[in-house]
Amino acid sequence: MEASLRAHRPAALLIFAFLSLIAVSSSAAQEIQILNAERRIDLSSQVAIVFLTLKVENTGKAAASDVILAFPPTEADHLAEVKAQAASGKKRKKTYAHLIVEPTDVPDAPNGAKGFRVALLNPLSPGETSTIEVLYMLTHSMEPFPAEISQSDPQLVYYRDSAYILSPYRIKQQTTFIKTPSTNVQSFSRVEPTNRASMELKYGPYEDLPAYSYAPVLVHFENNNPFAVVEELVREVEISHWGNLQITEHYTLAHGGAKLKGVFSRVEYQSRPSASGVSSFKNLLARLPPRVHSVYYRDEIGNISSSRLRTDSRKSELEIEPRYPLFGGWKSTFIIGYGLPLEDFLFESTDGKRYLNFTFGCPLSGTVVDKLTVKVVLPEGSKDPTAIIPFPVEEHMETKYSYLDVVGRPVLVLEKKNVVPEHNIPFQVYYSFNPIFMLAEPLMLVSTVFFLFASCVAYLHIDISIRKG
Amino acid sequence: MASKPVTAPVPITWYPTLAVFMLSIGLLITASFFIYEATSSRKTRSLPKELTTGALASFFLGFGSLFLLLASGVYV
Repeated sequence: MEASLRAHRPAALLIFAFLSLIAVSSSAAQEIQILNAERRIDLSSQVAIVFLTLKVENTGKAAASDVILAFPPTEADHLAEVKAQAASGKKRKKTYAHLIVEPTDVPDAPNGAKGFRVALLNPLSPGETSTIEVLYMLTHSMEPFPAEISQSDPQLVYYRDSAYILSPYRIKQQTTFIKTPSTNVQSFSRVEPTNRASMELKYGPYEDLPAYSYAPVLVHFENNNPFAVVEELVREVEISHWGNLQITEHYTLAHGGAKLKGVFSRVEYQSRPSASGVSSFKNLLARLPPRVHSVYYRDEIGNISSSRLRTDSRKSELEIEPRYPLFGGWKSTFIIGYGLPLEDFLFESTDGKRYLNFTFGCPLSGTVVDKLTVKVVLPEGSKDPTAIIPFPVEEHMETKYSYLDVVGRPVLVLEKKNVVPEHNIPFQVYYSFNPIFMLAEPLMLVSTVFFLFASCVAYLHIDISIRKG
Repeated sequence: MASKPVTAPVPITWYPTLAVFMLSIGLLITASFFIYEATSSRKTRSLPKELTTGALASFFLGFGSLFLLLASGVYV
């Protein structure tokens, strides 16, 4: 790679000079170079959390307004969240400014790499440097190997990545640190210089690598942290203007790690908990808002009593224990429901519209949701629902017929795939509602009862006897 | 933007009390309606009086059953 570059260097310089004379507009590839890149990959849980610090320099003639990040196509499919912030200031007094990240097309990327554009706060003038920090999360990127283990085996997984950070720009110096949850690392690929110190693997520092360099590495390590995957979650939020918000959540929970082969021995599981079923999990914690009432946890069989609810003034914690511990490949379906006071979540904005402020995302901590559907059921007579959500979701409308409904309640359905706990942030649903529609329900009851009285009066007044005329 | 929280039109703590009172008043008026029907003959009956008693009874019974539903947790 280096030898061929040296041979082409004079030709490349000529072409670069030619191009700069023509003064190409800034829509052409911006000339950015990364001076220093540091990547820290945390593999402690089932979600790979990658923290990237890039020191970017503008080597072109035009001001650069954004930086493009590249991901291999397999990684891009598992990306749950990409966040970026710009760091400024010295060590102790760093200030962070949030940057907008959007997926973008990178037409000349080799092997179908996907790109994300990070919009810089102030355009970077030629010769200037800036530091940006990117955080991204990958789900389902640890493959259990061996794929099937017995009850007493620990769980070992593969993690595949590249020793070189994939980037559309040249990187002058880069280092990658991989943190494993335990000291048991079966094997790891070496791309010199590589070092290992107890729970951290260090790949690098690598000097002066061209754009889109990639060196695949494989790390085989032990990860016994619970691989709790919610395959499908349907959350229904029903708004009642009489003072209550009713949430019903339908879960399909699975263990996403190495499958259990052989028999499950309850005796061995309970007598030697430190050696048996180390990768299984038996309880989960759901973080609910404060002032929650009427919490229930049941499945198709009936109520599941193995749960604990602890409330205080700032939060409520529901600890649930499914009917059986979950081993690899096992599933459990259940329903959690609870009610919340309306005034904590429904507000009236200045233009007369009402809006619901609620958290998107699964309340179970430490879980990855493959497909999340949030259905916001608005009261009968609501019009023009719109949703404001910080990340992209798919929306459509439905109708639900519930208690005392005539025309049905409009339901705004929001769907998202690959949800991690970072998505537990508030979103808003705006709608307009005329308070007079609230009278529709009692008036329906009144008119039903009056119909009974009127039929009584009619019966007593009508003469249906047969008489001689 | 200081947003005003939306609260229920009637304080929630009143729901059980309202349910009991409205239902009992409604049942009293229903009783008076049926007593009137039973004690009057075809000639002395007056339709407007029957209908007003019926309307008043249905108003109280309707609202009372709404508050009964709300008080028992069925937030309609």
